[in-house]
Amino acid sequence: MSKGFQIAIGALLCAGLLGWYGLSNLDSDATYRYFDTLEEFIASGPEKRVGEAMRIKGYVADGSIDRRVDDREVRFRIQNDPTHAGGPPGPTFVVHYLSLETPDLFQDGAEVVVEGHVASQSSGEVFLADNVLAKCPSKFQAMAEETTPASGTEL
Amino acid sequence: MGTIGNYSLQLALLFACIGVGVGIYAGVTRREDWTRVAERSVGVVFGFTSLAMVALFYALATNDFTNEYVAAHSARSMELYYRLSALWGGQAGSLLLWVWMLTAYASGALFVNRHQHRALAPWVSAVLLGNAVFFLSLLTFSTNPFATVETVHVVSDGNGMNPLLQHPVMMIHPLMLYTGFVGFAIPFAYAFAALITGRLDTTWFRVTRRWSLFAWAFLGVGLMLGGRWAYEVLGWGGYWAWDPVENAALMPWLVATAYLHSVMIQEKRDMLKIWNLVLIGLTYSLCLFGTFLTRSGIVQSVHAFTNAGWFTPVFLTYTLIMAAGFFIALAYRSRSLRSANRLESVVSREASFVVNNWLFMALLVMVFWFTMYPVFTELTIGEQRSWGPVWYNLFASFIGLGLLFLTGFGPLIAWRRATGSSLRRQFLVPGSVGIATAVVLGLWIQREPMAIAYWAMSAFVTAAIFQEYGRAISARMRRGESAFQATISLLQRNQRRYGGYIVHLGMVLCLVGIAGAAFNKESLANVRPGDSAALDEYRFEYLTADPIPEQHYGGARARVALYRDDEPLAVLAPEKRMYWLEQQPNSIPAIYSTLREDIYIILTAIEPDGSATLKVYRNPLVNWLWAGLVLFSLGCVAVLWPTPQRNQAA
Repeated sequence: MSKGFQIAIGALLCAGLLGWYGLSNLDSDATYRYFDTLEEFIASGPEKRVGEAMRIKGYVADGSIDRRVDDREVRFRIQNDPTHAGGPPGPTFVVHYLSLETPDLFQDGAEVVVEGHVASQSSGEVFLADNVLAKCPSKFQAMAEETTPASGTEL
Repeated sequence: MGTIGNYSLQLALLFACIGVGVGIYAGVTRREDWTRVAERSVGVVFGFTSLAMVALFYALATNDFTNEYVAAHSARSMELYYRLSALWGGQAGSLLLWVWMLTAYASGALFVNRHQHRALAPWVSAVLLGNAVFFLSLLTFSTNPFATVETVHVVSDGNGMNPLLQHPVMMIHPLMLYTGFVGFAIPFAYAFAALITGRLDTTWFRVTRRWSLFAWAFLGVGLMLGGRWAYEVLGWGGYWAWDPVENAALMPWLVATAYLHSVMIQEKRDMLKIWNLVLIGLTYSLCLFGTFLTRSGIVQSVHAFTNAGWFTPVFLTYTLIMAAGFFIALAYRSRSLRSANRLESVVSREASFVVNNWLFMALLVMVFWFTMYPVFTELTIGEQRSWGPVWYNLFASFIGLGLLFLTGFGPLIAWRRATGSSLRRQFLVPGSVGIATAVVLGLWIQREPMAIAYWAMSAFVTAAIFQEYGRAISARMRRGESAFQATISLLQRNQRRYGGYIVHLGMVLCLVGIAGAAFNKESLANVRPGDSAALDEYRFEYLTADPIPEQHYGGARARVALYRDDEPLAVLAPEKRMYWLEQQPNSIPAIYSTLREDIYIILTAIEPDGSATLKVYRNPLVNWLWAGLVLFSLGCVAVLWPTPQRNQAA
């Protein structure tokens, strides 16, 4: 067979070896479920999911951020819908983020994905987060609320 | 002005449609007079899209908030240059920029070639205008940058641009990326024209060589500048996260790099002809796909662009049609593309270019698979799964090491079949340098074998490049030239080779810097005013925090004194900004840069009790990456520099 064919076979072999090496180091945590929304999570019953590694998406409840410097953690609550969607906020869930290192965009109302697992505590279930990801706010949504001008300046 | 913009877009679309029809007619009938008409319609479309650009710039400059797009992306508080750059801050404006660049490139390429390659010209016009028709249709019917707001709803001030984008690098980053993306339409169009007309010699890529290099250089620099912005502004201590939007721009660049190298083999030995057409077809398809991916939001990304429902099927269909058309034409011509020459030996320059192509394809497949994995799993098993950066880095580091090896091996290995004596002559010195480096670093550092492998391989490649330059310069010096004169004449007479070596050297520096990340360290500390935190031999003394004097952002600015072994180095000022209009916080790091490493400090928070939480990073060798970027750019300039034709080696 031609040299080009030989090279192609060689390349395929290397690719296979590399893939095998990679996959043999794969553990079940490596491919994560993207996330549950808070609604899905609560509907599935948090008490049944204690210890399971997962991600939950929600919005930081206004005024709920509690930075506990001495414990080196940040506690807050997440809710399912953004605050400016109107209507009642709905159920919230307590998150203990085990670090003071919060991302830039982490603030009241921010869309967050928390990574970690559910833990059972005396006060009920709590989400222990190893990681908190905050998203750039969607400008489209914000703008939809703002088309009525605050001042009546004509142009 | 808005109506001028609107009408310009509609007229541009009209003339683009006419141009496509005329181009096809001229191509089928092979008439030069109609070919000229097609070429001129390209110019007309360029004129109208330019008018539309001017209209939008004007609306932004004058704060015309009756324009929906201006109201959504600009604000009075922004400086003029940022207001102007808001043109490409949102979907409609950036699509306008895309089509303007396309018509600019098209006009330029057709003008430069107005007296030659006449058989290709009508098809080139048709392909380029066909692409323009798509973008102009989107702009006219779906996402119009000149849409107005009803008078009742006109706001007194706009929404403003995401404050993260209000940075000098972010002003030019999209421009550079688009100069790259759109530029590949030119070689694509000529390749397509070659397939249609059956003119399958080296013409199509020789004519477009400089255009391809130009686009590739800008895309490469744009990618690296994006990394620099992420490093300086996003404040997570790194410069590349394998985010889907980053990958979208990287994928075409990978294939384009393979393409630029692979065409050399067709030139010298009339081989890899099918490879080269596949590579350019894939490059441009990936440019379109990358544009689509960035805007569609189908893959969750840190970069949240709006996600309009019609966008995905429309854009994806267009990309697939364009790609399918090209590859069907390629299949049709495949018989006439067979080469008479065969690969004679695996140890040859031709073979190393084939391996090079395969390695880049492997990288591409890996990046594509991991990037699109959430979409594939959603479609098949109904839930999204993803692969993190760890996986990308693992595979990329192995494949990249192979590519780095070829960077040194390829230019030195003989054509057709290397003999034992040629191998010895070429590889003795660089090989020894590489092995010696590996041994020394291995014994000294004793961990992180991948980083050591990269540094040793970099030494091998650097030695190879210096050997090439050294031998050529001394040969010329023997004929009476000075070393400096010799270098200049090398760069003039064999521009692509010796300029290319400088580009390679730039990439080597980049990889040396990237490998340093294996030794990154970080630490999170909470300090009261007057106290210090430590990281190895560095000490960080938290002095004070002051409120930022009010502009369109406020927040806190901390002052941190940096000591190494108790020697004072600098007072750094990391900031935690709050952009009032957008209600968006942003941490700006303070960076102390040396050739050896960066000390990178983030003010995570001023806590309620007055203490400061600081995140500190130590990033060894990271500035070699930015130095490599500079050398890479200089190398590209050297390769692209216009030289009198008669001096060219080929």
